Amino acid sequence: MRGSVAILKKELRSYFYSPVAYVILGVFLFIMGVIFAKFVDIYQRFNTVQRFGGAQGITLDKLATYLYQNMAFILCFVTPFLTMRLYAEEKRQHTLELLFTAPLKKFELVFGKFLAAYSLMVFMVVVSFIYVLFMIIWGNPELPIIATTYLGLLLALACYVSLGGLISAMTNSQAIAAVWTFIALLLLWLLQSLGQGISAKTGFVEWGPLLVFLSPLGHFNSFSEGLIHLKDIVYFLSFTVISLYFTYCVVESNRWR
Amino acid sequence: MIEVRNLTKKYGDRTAINQLTFSVARGEILGFLGQNGAGKTTTMKILTGFMPATSGSASIGGFDVLENPYEVKKKIGYLPETPPIYPELLVYEYLSFVAELRGVSKSERSKKIDKVIELCHLGDVRRRLIGNLSKGYRQRVGLAQALIHDPEVLILDEPTVGLDPKQVNEARGLIKNLRGEKTVIYSTHILSEVAATCDRIIVIDRGNIVAQEALNPMGATGGVVKTEIIVRKVADDLRKKITSVSGVKEVHITSNGAHRLIVESEANEEVIAEVSRVVVESRSGLIRMSPVQQALEEYYLTLITGKGGP
Repeated sequence: MRGSVAILKKELRSYFYSPVAYVILGVFLFIMGVIFAKFVDIYQRFNTVQRFGGAQGITLDKLATYLYQNMAFILCFVTPFLTMRLYAEEKRQHTLELLFTAPLKKFELVFGKFLAAYSLMVFMVVVSFIYVLFMIIWGNPELPIIATTYLGLLLALACYVSLGGLISAMTNSQAIAAVWTFIALLLLWLLQSLGQGISAKTGFVEWGPLLVFLSPLGHFNSFSEGLIHLKDIVYFLSFTVISLYFTYCVVESNRWR
Repeated sequence: MIEVRNLTKKYGDRTAINQLTFSVARGEILGFLGQNGAGKTTTMKILTGFMPATSGSASIGGFDVLENPYEVKKKIGYLPETPPIYPELLVYEYLSFVAELRGVSKSERSKKIDKVIELCHLGDVRRRLIGNLSKGYRQRVGLAQALIHDPEVLILDEPTVGLDPKQVNEARGLIKNLRGEKTVIYSTHILSEVAATCDRIIVIDRGNIVAQEALNPMGATGGVVKTEIIVRKVADDLRKKITSVSGVKEVHITSNGAHRLIVESEANEEVIAEVSRVVVESRSGLIRMSPVQQALEEYYLTLITGKGGP
């Protein structure tokens, strides 16, 4: 564990000593701000329509749900920038030799790096709580739903970051790591819509529902609707653990090459 | 301290090192000599536990490198060919990170950092970004990193590459000061360096050990030294007199401007002293007498080109 802490501290230093962390945080909050402002605008217009006996308007809860569903998607774009350097940069700089010849267990290394990128992402999500504060001050959103949404977001982020780390461990180039992480995360999201249109069956396997289950989208959505299902928690946690385990294997295999 | 037995490493079907066997005693400085690509780095990487060997075994301080890498890694300090540095960190931050990684306790950390900073002359750049340092400084930061946890064994892969002559001297001095205290394996392809710092050398060529011996105080191996003597005039029987000294093998005389004699003799101080007495007594006007440093170089070349040899 001591090793993980050393790695965690060093990684956080590296993030904040380069402009990376600040730029990503700034851009992320800006985009979220634009989306939030747009949603508030739509919400108000619906409410005006409703007041004059028009269609059923959206509620403040729905507003928060939409906001966070968008955020979960936007974080797919953010993740690659934070995870791309984790291992690829170490390989390029020949610093893996330092880490591998120090009395540091490989899982400590993998866990420390995961924790660093993850805590930075969590920090970003926590800062985005400003928008919720606005809703609380000027509206009356249902807080339990927001709480479950945050839980879902934290779990989803863990699986994004672990996947990004795995891809970074497989290449020497940050750019390649970023591109593949982005493609992988996007595909995972798209599996949801892809799966819904498939009714093929091979033996017991129903491909449609399987693909839907593999996508984080559905799992996240139930959190954002205020539902905590064990299967969703299991999905996110096992996704993260498996990715971290694969990362460990890839890192270990570097020694044999 | 270090025991290597029949160590072999293959990359695919290319053999990088072949059946290496050697040992290094505690407190000894071993020079690991060879051309580029001879297998020096591979051997060092195996010793540090960075990569596993194909066959054979290596142990450091009684712990097998493959079976007990964790214990081995605690004992060693390693400077790879490319210093493993993070350009985005300040020098002392980097050293503090390595110290933490190496398990130096928090209370001792700043003391140990100060010590290596002084040892490696990094005081001026303590608060500078590693990325902005020159190659020589980076190399020294790499060396500081290997020393930070006060390891018993130091494994240095070409530690003086990229240093300017003054720094090379300092680095050698630093390594010499570790004699007796730490066990050092030191790879290089610069011969004068070996002569200046090491107790013993191993010459490796294309993965095989071609020579393994102690360096005598005159900085040559193979039992033969050459001494250059410059005199004002060569007395008729000088050559004969020198040749008759027991232990002298051959005397060459050249005279381009100054008179220059090259005396090949046994690597024995008494023989050299006797030669000098003979030269002085012959009243030839001794101007200079010095060992020929190239002896080692020639010896080395005969080893790796396979011509002659001891």
